[in-house]
Amino acid sequence: MNDDRSIFFKYRKIVFAVVLFMVADAVVIGVNFYNTYKSDESAVSINLSGRQRMLSQRMTKALLMTENSLARSRNVATKANLKELNLAVKLFDTTLKGFRDGGMVTGGDGNPVFLTQVETDESRKAVEETYEIWDYYLGLLQPLLSKNQEFSEEELEGMLEFVKNNPDTLTAALAFAQMNNLKILQYMNDLTTDLEHVANKRASTLRIVLLAGIFFALVNFAYTVVVSIRDLILGDHLLAQSRKETAEILATVREGLFLLDKDKKIGTQFSSSLPDILRRDIQPGADFMPHLEAIAPRSVYEAAVDYIELLLGDRVKESLVTSLNPLTDVPVLVTDTRGDTQTRYLSFFFNRVITAEQISHLLVTVQDVTDKAVLAQQVEQAKNQAKAEIETLLRLANSDFDTLQRFITNVGESLAQINAALSESHEEARERMRILNQIMRLVHGIKGEAAVLGIDMLESYAHDCEKEMIVMRDDENFGGDQMLRVVVLLEGFYQQHSSLAQVVSRLGSALGKAHSAEREDAAEDTPRKQPFVDHITALAERIAADHGKQVKVSCQLEKMFSLPNTVTRELQDISVQLVRNALAHGIEAPDKRNAHNKPLIGRLSLRCESLGHGRHSFTVRDDGCGIVPERLRKLFVEKGFMTLEEASALSDKEIATRLFLPGVSTAETPDQDSGHGIGLDVVLEKVKRMGGHMLVRSSPDKFTEFSIQFSTTP
Amino acid sequence: MSAINEKDILIFVEAVSNFFFQITQEKVEIKTAYLLEDDVPSATFDLTSYITLSGGFTGRIYFSAPHSMLTHLLLVMGEQNRSDERLLDAAGEIANTISGNARKHFGETMEISVPTSQTTKSNWLKTVVSPRSYVILVKWKHYRASVVVDIQRAEQK
Repeated sequence: MNDDRSIFFKYRKIVFAVVLFMVADAVVIGVNFYNTYKSDESAVSINLSGRQRMLSQRMTKALLMTENSLARSRNVATKANLKELNLAVKLFDTTLKGFRDGGMVTGGDGNPVFLTQVETDESRKAVEETYEIWDYYLGLLQPLLSKNQEFSEEELEGMLEFVKNNPDTLTAALAFAQMNNLKILQYMNDLTTDLEHVANKRASTLRIVLLAGIFFALVNFAYTVVVSIRDLILGDHLLAQSRKETAEILATVREGLFLLDKDKKIGTQFSSSLPDILRRDIQPGADFMPHLEAIAPRSVYEAAVDYIELLLGDRVKESLVTSLNPLTDVPVLVTDTRGDTQTRYLSFFFNRVITAEQISHLLVTVQDVTDKAVLAQQVEQAKNQAKAEIETLLRLANSDFDTLQRFITNVGESLAQINAALSESHEEARERMRILNQIMRLVHGIKGEAAVLGIDMLESYAHDCEKEMIVMRDDENFGGDQMLRVVVLLEGFYQQHSSLAQVVSRLGSALGKAHSAEREDAAEDTPRKQPFVDHITALAERIAADHGKQVKVSCQLEKMFSLPNTVTRELQDISVQLVRNALAHGIEAPDKRNAHNKPLIGRLSLRCESLGHGRHSFTVRDDGCGIVPERLRKLFVEKGFMTLEEASALSDKEIATRLFLPGVSTAETPDQDSGHGIGLDVVLEKVKRMGGHMLVRSSPDKFTEFSIQFSTTP
Repeated sequence: MSAINEKDILIFVEAVSNFFFQITQEKVEIKTAYLLEDDVPSATFDLTSYITLSGGFTGRIYFSAPHSMLTHLLLVMGEQNRSDERLLDAAGEIANTISGNARKHFGETMEISVPTSQTTKSNWLKTVVSPRSYVILVKWKHYRASVVVDIQRAEQK
């Protein structure tokens, strides 16, 4: 409605001119019609006034011929002349009355016609003067006129007899006619002339009106043209101005702006920043969805298809579905100018454009919110890190301070070993791989120790490093470039280590402990049983819980803590790995244990015993699924560690020993505790370092036992 | 230590590599990388050239190479003059190339000094760089050289 009113207002001058033109036309047509009607009347009047002149002559002629035929006794001719006289008199009389009073008369063609009363003074005077003569003249003629105007033979005979018997009547009428005939003729002539004058005047008026009408129409047309052209020029100017402003806005605005039609095509105009934000070549009228599909994650794209359909339909209110927009903070993969792929975060906002109460388009605004998203991620990361640090701090506060100090020292030593390994430069790929495996074992050791102490921060970092190095290990082209990555990871490790050392140092101060490096009290450096048993039990329970399993840990480790410190520490590290291994691969989930009629809670025991003569054994045993050579063969083939032929060719013992090779794992999916093929090779390396050997015993679905035998005597 | 990544470090190494490739059609190869600590090789060779950065990063980038390597390089370049001075110039040119790459990568806001070149003794780098600076050992033909990255990302104000 508003649009209609505004359009009328906009074009009001043109509308006014058109209305004026139509009114003027109607007036001209009306005047024309009236004049035409009057002209018809004038034509009848002129025609009949002319006929009156002729009738005055016909009457005189009829009188003269009647006298002549009567004198010659020509009865038939006399009757015809009398009839002619009657007709002429009657026609003249009725017409004259018509001129005076107006009314129906016989027209020139014998049909009745309406004769209007004369209007001008000249005409009225001519008619009145005619009547002055005609009244007397008609009285003289009256005896000669028929009563009923039927002109039957008997009546005509009667009229003939009357004329024969009263010749004076005829003579008197004839004498009057001869005397006044010219006067009547003159008056009727005057009437005709005046009527013609009136008609001419009317025709002249009509011409003037028509000319005025045409002139007015031309002026009106000229006005309309001028106003229209001026409005068009003004409109063009405003349109150009508007386009210029729109172009300037679209060129300046930082957001990507465009209209999306019902076919999901991008409008002809869009902001110049749109291709930059989407990092794509956008053409006017292009399909939007393929562009979105190319950059957005599949699930987001599919949700966006539904959402856009919903907005383009009119079934739901826009405000109700805004919160469902799946295209906010969307991670998109884009290629930068250097050809590198990078993740950016974009937000798309959609607003309906309503035209004539219908949804015509969606106005789409695209914002690059990468900075905001990255900041949010950093905040989240910082929060998580702070949380992890607090949790670590709380755990540390509950931990044995000396154990922590030893851990810090151990990690420092491991990092130095990693750096030393990196500093060895080797030509052969095999040597480089050996160094990488060595680094991975050291990292794994740190991870294990951190896990025992519940230092999630470091355990998690070590795990991430491990994952990256596993990828490198599987890369055939592993070389110096990857070493650069390893050294960056090492630097990260150093930073974690440094932070942790500071925390432990502060903790020591808070606890009033003298934690100086100069402390020489050897007894304080001795590993202690109870903290270790607590840690290893907690670790086993955490890993079990992570895998949806239950475990009861029993430890008989008194002997282990009577051994030399270096040996005890090696055994502690070995314990961590074998416990991880038992929980990840050995002990089954409760439903599986139930199916094998085993107690739902798995049992894990760690035992250290003296075998006499300075020899000792360290055993870790679980009541899990055992090592089954056939299962291992199948798994190794499935995981691509070996071919079917190779697996078949190996004995049961040989296949079991493959578990101790770097990179070999039986876990279905890698996680923090297993699946990376690091662990048993670390154990084996440590056993070798201790100069011991390892025995593995197992029974399918019953137990697995790793037993290390070693000597502490030189 | 700075939060720099291997991509940043590679910018400097690639500069050295491109320098050698343009002159000799032979790229240098990264042999290994480590952190400069007490108990690892010092990575210092006979001649060392360095540039000092300020702006987005602060610190120094060192290029250290043995006499023999730079002499061979001059030979390939057709240089008749292979004096110590000329060798130091060659080391400086390599540092200049590192400077160009750094400016290209980190932008014009990074200020980079002109190279300083000097003869160096075996442990020199350990005495001047920050602890745990990155050492990248590179190889050209059978020679070893080092790029030492001792920079930190400047604190954002």
